[in-house]
Amino acid sequence: MNRVGKITIRLIGAVLGLGALALCLADPAVAQEAAGGVREYGNFPVIGSRAAVWIAAQVHLMFAAFVLGVPMFAVVVEGIGIATKDEKYDKLSKEFVRLLLIAYSATAIWGAILTMFLVTLYPRFWGHLSEIFEVSIWIYVGLFFVESFTLYLYYYGWDRWKKGGAKLMHLGLGILLNVFGTAVLFIADSWLSYMMSPPAEVTPDTAPGMVRLWSAITNATWMPINIHRIIANVVFGGAIAAGYAAIRFLNSTTDEERAHYDWMGYIGNFIAISALLVLPFAGYWLGREVYEYNQSMGITMMGGFMSWLWIIQAFLIGVLFLAANYYLWIGLGRIPGGERFVPYTKWMLLILVAGVIVWATPHTMIANRDELAQMGGTHHPFLGVLGVMSAKNTAVNLMILTTFLSFLMYRRANKAPVVSWAARGSLIQGIVLALAAGVVIFYGVYGYFVSAIVRIGFSVYQVGAVLITIVVVTVIDVMISRGAKSYGEIRWGRMPARSQYALFILVVTFTWLMGLMGFARSGIRQHWHIWEVMRDTSPWAATPALGSAAVVISTCVLIFLSMIAFIFWLGGLVEKPVLASARPAAVPGTGGLAPAHGE
Amino acid sequence: MANLKVFGVVLVTIAIYTLLANAIPQVQSEVPEELSFGAGVTAEQLVTAGEQLYQGAGGCTACHGLGTRAPNLLTDEAGTGTIGVRCATRVMDKDCKAYLHDSLTEPGSFVVPGYGPIMTDMRRTLSGAQIWALIAYLQSLGGEVTVTGEDVAAAGNEGAGGGAPAGGGGAAGAALAGGSLDPVELLRAATCFVCHKLGEEGGPIGPPFDGIGARINADRIRRGILAPNADTAQGFEAMAGTMPPTFGQQFNAAQLEAVVQFLSSRK
Repeated sequence: MNRVGKITIRLIGAVLGLGALALCLADPAVAQEAAGGVREYGNFPVIGSRAAVWIAAQVHLMFAAFVLGVPMFAVVVEGIGIATKDEKYDKLSKEFVRLLLIAYSATAIWGAILTMFLVTLYPRFWGHLSEIFEVSIWIYVGLFFVESFTLYLYYYGWDRWKKGGAKLMHLGLGILLNVFGTAVLFIADSWLSYMMSPPAEVTPDTAPGMVRLWSAITNATWMPINIHRIIANVVFGGAIAAGYAAIRFLNSTTDEERAHYDWMGYIGNFIAISALLVLPFAGYWLGREVYEYNQSMGITMMGGFMSWLWIIQAFLIGVLFLAANYYLWIGLGRIPGGERFVPYTKWMLLILVAGVIVWATPHTMIANRDELAQMGGTHHPFLGVLGVMSAKNTAVNLMILTTFLSFLMYRRANKAPVVSWAARGSLIQGIVLALAAGVVIFYGVYGYFVSAIVRIGFSVYQVGAVLITIVVVTVIDVMISRGAKSYGEIRWGRMPARSQYALFILVVTFTWLMGLMGFARSGIRQHWHIWEVMRDTSPWAATPALGSAAVVISTCVLIFLSMIAFIFWLGGLVEKPVLASARPAAVPGTGGLAPAHGE
Repeated sequence: MANLKVFGVVLVTIAIYTLLANAIPQVQSEVPEELSFGAGVTAEQLVTAGEQLYQGAGGCTACHGLGTRAPNLLTDEAGTGTIGVRCATRVMDKDCKAYLHDSLTEPGSFVVPGYGPIMTDMRRTLSGAQIWALIAYLQSLGGEVTVTGEDVAAAGNEGAGGGAPAGGGGAAGAALAGGSLDPVELLRAATCFVCHKLGEEGGPIGPPFDGIGARINADRIRRGILAPNADTAQGFEAMAGTMPPTFGQQFNAAQLEAVVQFLSSRK
């Protein structure tokens, strides 16, 4: 075991020790003392207890999302390597896991900090929660321990178990790592989702010891949050991995390094954006469950004091779409044959920009008297029309279709199909895409002429048309590309620096968005530690406005990105990067029709 | 150099998001104020405290303010008047006070036709005193306040807000402008000039007070103050619903008449 491994083991050991100490401090005797009125809240200096716990929880979650998301696609990439017998996938997977290894201890440290803060700053709340969930806390600690050592076996056994059955066993370790990680995630989610949606039978008078554990775990929002987080973790892990690759690319000194990290950045971005496209559906499910559980909470989330949060979210997602597409369009320059698609990008940019503008248009504006006078009413005569769901759903579905088209162009860039029906296939692809856009626009316009309850149903048709199109067009494309000739190999490494900065904007935006959504999920509880069960009577009970929240979110993002940059740098000091055999830039002009090289 | 540029990109991006979030309207979710009313509480105190809850931390306006998710309590509902008027006729053999109390504590017992059963039991979020204050406020919207100190005292510490009072005794119903009957002082204290113009003072949102007596009579002016959404001034249709229907509640009877007479004299 090398030095990093030993240090990591020691850190984990120390953290587990601290965690155990924290659990001991949560002894019922301590909780009783708190309940007896001795002390309900501690006071963290300068920033206050709420900000302290908020920052600790958010940074812990950012690291946790990364270390839980990466193994999911790392094991898939390893599996692709086994199936294709292409060693570059295996090496890429190992490099993904190497990032994970170093970040793992930071996750544990922030988890311990969070636990300490909860125990010392919110003893009454912590006593309540730990009394209900004590058995799951013990299981959590055990799983965390097992997960850690599975990770060490997975990483350090990589080169030892490389062939035949041993390689399959190694892949099994990766799968096991994901099973343990997912179990840890599900347990932690049960605690926070219980705070949002405790079972109906739990009231302020219910003693914590009387709450059934399984009932508390399987609360109304538990599974939607589990699914939402699994997908979001993949998005986040992919984005951070792409950011890591980008900084390595910018600091590369050889063509081989540049080629490798260019490819790694592309894969990370592909994973992040692909998972991002399905994330809204998990979000809708979670939102619906929140409404089903408690209308007041749902209305607070979407129509109450948090309504402006969704405008900021729309802006951030707009940035994600623009940056991701920009990265792909620049990437066409390194693909022989890609130049034939470049003229279309300006029109796609137009659609994306228009979509972002519509999506970020508020419906009802809080305005001062001069603004009201200028608008001539409480609703802006023009913007009010764009602010309704018909317009927003149309905008976002067209943006998804446009992004899919970018991926499609990228995929087809260096391929010259040879199948006899290639022209007809491409025509069908175009017709299907146009039909989908037509369906989206038709129901978007029609939505203005029907009642709200009918209009809500239209979003299903719009989303359905887009999803079916993505599947159908992709299947046709795979079939068209069979045996296709190539205009030349992708010139990995031949990317301008600005493309890598686009990846950084993606990383920052994903991280900031995660902080924003964390605030939304937690903030809808308002002045309740546990919704309608345990009131927050501390001086920090009022839920802050978005401006104040943004300062805390930005602080968390800065802490997280600074630490992860340091961790990656530290890792680079100890161990040489594992370079895949992605070929360095080919000499321009050699792109004759050769067998297509997969990207 | 590359690392420095990356650092710059990260910082600028974070700064833009932070500034953007601070540029939009800032709304903080407040904690409902604890009330420690005793049997001697006056109707005015209850109404004032109830209005604060209704408009703020009680969260009522998220549904009742729009008129789509739930009935709008501050304006007429299908010709039945404001909630203070219609509450006594909603359920047979149930007076206004009992109906409103049931609506807040057992919302499933009667759901207004045309709306879904989305109302939650407010005992989970508000104390007994807070619930009675809300009822008093709703009664005051066109009806007679019948909530008494005995109701509040009997409620004791029931509901989620029970427990240690936060002091202050809730909002006191102090008379507007120190009880003054000077109409201009009253219009100023009631913030009417935020939207209405009188001479050089005031804004352009609502109809100007200059010449209002020539346009409408005293009854219309009185109704315009107490139920501003009942009529819409010509030329200001786009502003309908902008004026809070609670402004009239700030005046006592003598003050209201002083204001009405003053405005009707502006010809």
